[in-house]
Amino acid sequence: MGVGNQQLDFAEFYRSAADGCLRAVLVSIGDQDTARDLVDEAFARAWASWPTVSKHPAPEAWVVRTALNAGISRWRRRRREVSVPDPDRVADLPAVGEASASLVDPRIMAALMRLPARQRQVIALRLILDLDTARTAEVLGIATGTVMAHLGRAMAALRHDLQPELQQENRS
Amino acid sequence: MNDNELITAVRESVADVRSATPVARIISRGRAVRARRRIPGVAGTLVVAAGTALAVTTLLPSGHPGLPASGHPGSQPASARLAAWTVAMQANGDIDITINQLQNPAGLQSTLRADGLPVSVSFSGPPLSASCRPYDTQKDVLSAVAQWNTSDDGAFLVINPKALPSGTGVAIFDEPGAGIPSPSPGTPRHGSGRPAGITRPAGITGPPAGITGPLSVGLVYASQQCTG
Repeated sequence: MGVGNQQLDFAEFYRSAADGCLRAVLVSIGDQDTARDLVDEAFARAWASWPTVSKHPAPEAWVVRTALNAGISRWRRRRREVSVPDPDRVADLPAVGEASASLVDPRIMAALMRLPARQRQVIALRLILDLDTARTAEVLGIATGTVMAHLGRAMAALRHDLQPELQQENRS
Repeated sequence: MNDNELITAVRESVADVRSATPVARIISRGRAVRARRRIPGVAGTLVVAAGTALAVTTLLPSGHPGLPASGHPGSQPASARLAAWTVAMQANGDIDITINQLQNPAGLQSTLRADGLPVSVSFSGPPLSASCRPYDTQKDVLSAVAQWNTSDDGAFLVINPKALPSGTGVAIFDEPGAGIPSPSPGTPRHGSGRPAGITRPAGITGPPAGITGPLSVGLVYASQQCTG
């Protein structure tokens, strides 16, 4: 593939996959600004390795996995540099980034953030990115049965968390 | 609420979130990633030194001579690749600098100036030329101008020209005289001095093989003679 075709090919992939990847990473980490930066970085790495990534069976899953890994790497670096916030102020911190609040449903995002990280990742890949169970298991490096178990628990927790609010919303 | 209703609610909760980054910016960032991958053996640590400057220790491969480097016209929008260093202009105006070897400071200086950065680069001799005057400022101002970033591909210095205080420029220099005490704040210095506050970063016990001292970044008053 020539450089020009390669660039067009990547641009087409980016246009079709960027929104979904961003939403999946956002559901996984909760902060929109961070998610945007991580996804941009992951797509940049995808471009840098496009001849390889383009042959991946699910390149959008590669991007999401790369973004999540980059987030973990950043956290590992920064935890040595950032002091623990004053515990009295932690309760005042928003559950999600302020910039996220305008574009996401804060109740559902807050419920998602109460899930364990692995369950959020399964939700992101299965429900937001629409990967099947086998591909989700491959991306996360876990068994398909574990994916289904995480998804079932996550759905139950979300239903329990959101049902009273949604029922009240339906009544009013 | 059944499963379908719940799935729909989760999907709709983020349906308005859309990527706003143009693909051209992603590709530009990808080029910088690709350029960094081509440069082996770069690692480093940036330490905010006491006072008002940043010090960067660059690990150089021992006994690995850099290729001859030449001046390069502006790096925008793609990256400039040289054996000793690379410069990549980002779409947001930031300038990523990867320094692998302390060679060809004049080439690095002219490349950065071509990108619009008022800068003085020195890898040997006095940290600042006689025409440069250090600019005393706060640590957070300097941190806004210069940051040391790392990625899986290596380490690089990021300069944000928009954060430069009016009338100032950047000085990038090797500091063979590490350990020299900080000058008193507010003391005017010319020529042989360093930008205020440069000290040997704490925790660095000695320069790695192949480098004479920490690579430092400070602010100077911009002038035609000093920063171009």
